[in-house]
Amino acid sequence: MLARFPVSIAWPMNDSFKRGAREGFRLFLPMSVGLIPWALVTGVAMRSAGFSPVEAMGMNLIVFAGTAQIGTLPLIAAGAPLWLIVLTALVLNLRFVIFSAALAPAFEGQSWRRRLASSYLLVDGVFAVCSERILRSHDPHWRWGCFIAPSLWAWVLWQFFVLAGVLGAGSIPRDWSLEFMATIALMVMLVPMTQLRPMLVAALAGGLAAVALRGLPLKLGLIVGIVVGIAAGFAAEHLGVQRRRA
Amino acid sequence: MIEGAWLWITFVLIALATTGPRGSFILLGARVRLPPVLQRALRYAPAAALAALVAPDLLLDGDTLDPANPKLAAALVVLLAATRSRNPWLPFIAGMAVLLVLRKGLGW
Repeated sequence: MLARFPVSIAWPMNDSFKRGAREGFRLFLPMSVGLIPWALVTGVAMRSAGFSPVEAMGMNLIVFAGTAQIGTLPLIAAGAPLWLIVLTALVLNLRFVIFSAALAPAFEGQSWRRRLASSYLLVDGVFAVCSERILRSHDPHWRWGCFIAPSLWAWVLWQFFVLAGVLGAGSIPRDWSLEFMATIALMVMLVPMTQLRPMLVAALAGGLAAVALRGLPLKLGLIVGIVVGIAAGFAAEHLGVQRRRA
Repeated sequence: MIEGAWLWITFVLIALATTGPRGSFILLGARVRLPPVLQRALRYAPAAALAALVAPDLLLDGDTLDPANPKLAAALVVLLAATRSRNPWLPFIAGMAVLLVLRKGLGW
């Protein structure tokens, strides 16, 4: 059972906050270097999709979600219907519902403002390397430090290198097919997920269904493809469990 | 291309769509529980979505199926780089190099 302490809205620069912040930073620092190529690619991809530098950085500050940014670029560039763009962004970030559910106990007793900020700042990497330590701690100051320090570091690093990509994109010739960087980025995100068999099945089914259903109006093939992929992954998981029992 | 005010409205809506899932349980608190079946189904959403976005770009030329194209060849190199190496830059460098050589060097 987690103890509930009253927590002030102000930054508590007390010792346990600082110790938590140091620990979170130490855990996340090595992994955070991996954000740099993503950020550069995202910056370049937004420019090659036709955004001005201001629009690109505007999206980056407002959205702050790399996968959803890169994933929706081709739809925005093609003038796809707004609902499809928003739905695609939502699906691409659905994984965070699971992360959010896992982290929720750590935010017991925290202010609404901090929870809102955390909702905007939560990234895969911080969840991956810090969540276990955060959930093991019973000190809300320590937990908040361990979450917010690496999260802010990720935000600063991301904004800086996206800006570098946005500014650098102008000096690369137009006919270098830079939009393909976005496709590569999506593939690199996909590859580690498919180490698990049902996940691979979900990806194959989703991809092939999206290709097969390309004739559907309003780019609906994308959404139906995703649903087919989820169903296929789920089915593969069940078959796998049954086979192990047999 | 979506332009002007609509582009900014699109950004705000995407922000809501991406912050929503991140905030869901952090904002609602730990009292609310996600049904386990839904939780397991949701695990497959990102893989399915990423593949559904990538596959048409690699396999289609306009609306017709065309598997023999430079993008797919480059994608295979990207797959190789992403699975064999831990260098985060390699898939981008190798993939773009193959695509550029095939398109500009060989005129494919």
